[in-house]
Amino acid sequence: MAEVVRGVIAATGADVLVVSDASEDDTARLARSAGAAVVELPCRLGAWGAAQTGMRYARRHRYTTVLTLDADGQHHPQELPSLLAEQRRTGASVVIGTYSERLSAAKRLASRYFHLLTGIGVQDFTSGLRVYDRHAVRVLASRHASLLDYQDLGVLMLLRKNGLTLRELPTVMSPRSQGGSRVFSSWRMVARYMLHTTVLCFAQIGTGRRARLATTGAAA
Amino acid sequence: MTAQITSGLISVLLAGAILYLVRRDHLHGSYALWWLAVAGAILLLGVFPPVIDWLGRVTAINYAPILPIGIGIGMILIRMLKMDIDRSRRERQIRRLAQKLAILEQEIVELRGGSAAPGDTSPPPAPAELPRIAGRR
Repeated sequence: MAEVVRGVIAATGADVLVVSDASEDDTARLARSAGAAVVELPCRLGAWGAAQTGMRYARRHRYTTVLTLDADGQHHPQELPSLLAEQRRTGASVVIGTYSERLSAAKRLASRYFHLLTGIGVQDFTSGLRVYDRHAVRVLASRHASLLDYQDLGVLMLLRKNGLTLRELPTVMSPRSQGGSRVFSSWRMVARYMLHTTVLCFAQIGTGRRARLATTGAAA
Repeated sequence: MTAQITSGLISVLLAGAILYLVRRDHLHGSYALWWLAVAGAILLLGVFPPVIDWLGRVTAINYAPILPIGIGIGMILIRMLKMDIDRSRRERQIRRLAQKLAILEQEIVELRGGSAAPGDTSPPPAPAELPRIAGRR
């Protein structure tokens, strides 16, 4: 934990915020001693609830760019500068760091299925290694994003609905040092997740295309 | 006639219970209105069962007694939908409140300039200070 915080500071010189999702170990103390600001949630809100807390913190403190990465050591802070550079180069609102070698067959299948369903062609859609710009942070800090559960397709669909652009950048990652993927751990969890996300897709389907039409209409 | 007395008794009891709860302010605003309407409908149908037969004739439904049951189930479904909508809204509020609380707590720690952690790791404020902070007593 402390290593990750120090790594991010060394790699980017950015201010670091650690969101503790009601964890009871000394995550918060370690992160503080490593130089991060720490927000401790009073009850478990899940992966996205914690990430959104960071978005709201960023807006409150007027940060213009937000980098997110998991604190379990799977994302390398050294990758952050290249993500930032990619964002600057392409002008995309969101850049997702993906690691295609890590993708299991199940995940590949899932990503193909969701691509068909939503038209969002992101391979590693659950990757938490991401860069968000000001516009993306504004959308994601809003009430509309508060009922999402994971930092995944729901987030991407919401961004697309608001006319923001997404990019993927291949990066290097390690296997998780503690615990496996929360989502792709057992078949039951996968089934649950797929069903949940499919419903989410159906709730969102078409809205993105309509929004895009509306923006081109306004521009014309 | 006995059947009418039975249904009348049941409906008066149900409507009475609802009225009592509304009067005791256990049901809030729009909920109270909804339940008063339910109590009214129960009273009307329970005390005057012929109303059901009349409704059956009006709607051309052969077996009239199914009518209140069908309408009742429909109303229950609508009510449950409304409950889930309310629950989602509340979940959203709770999540946002928890986030705001945690962010504000972090700012308090920062303002105090201490490395003291909020939550259970921080030393509790001196007991004597609590009443003054809370503005009570």
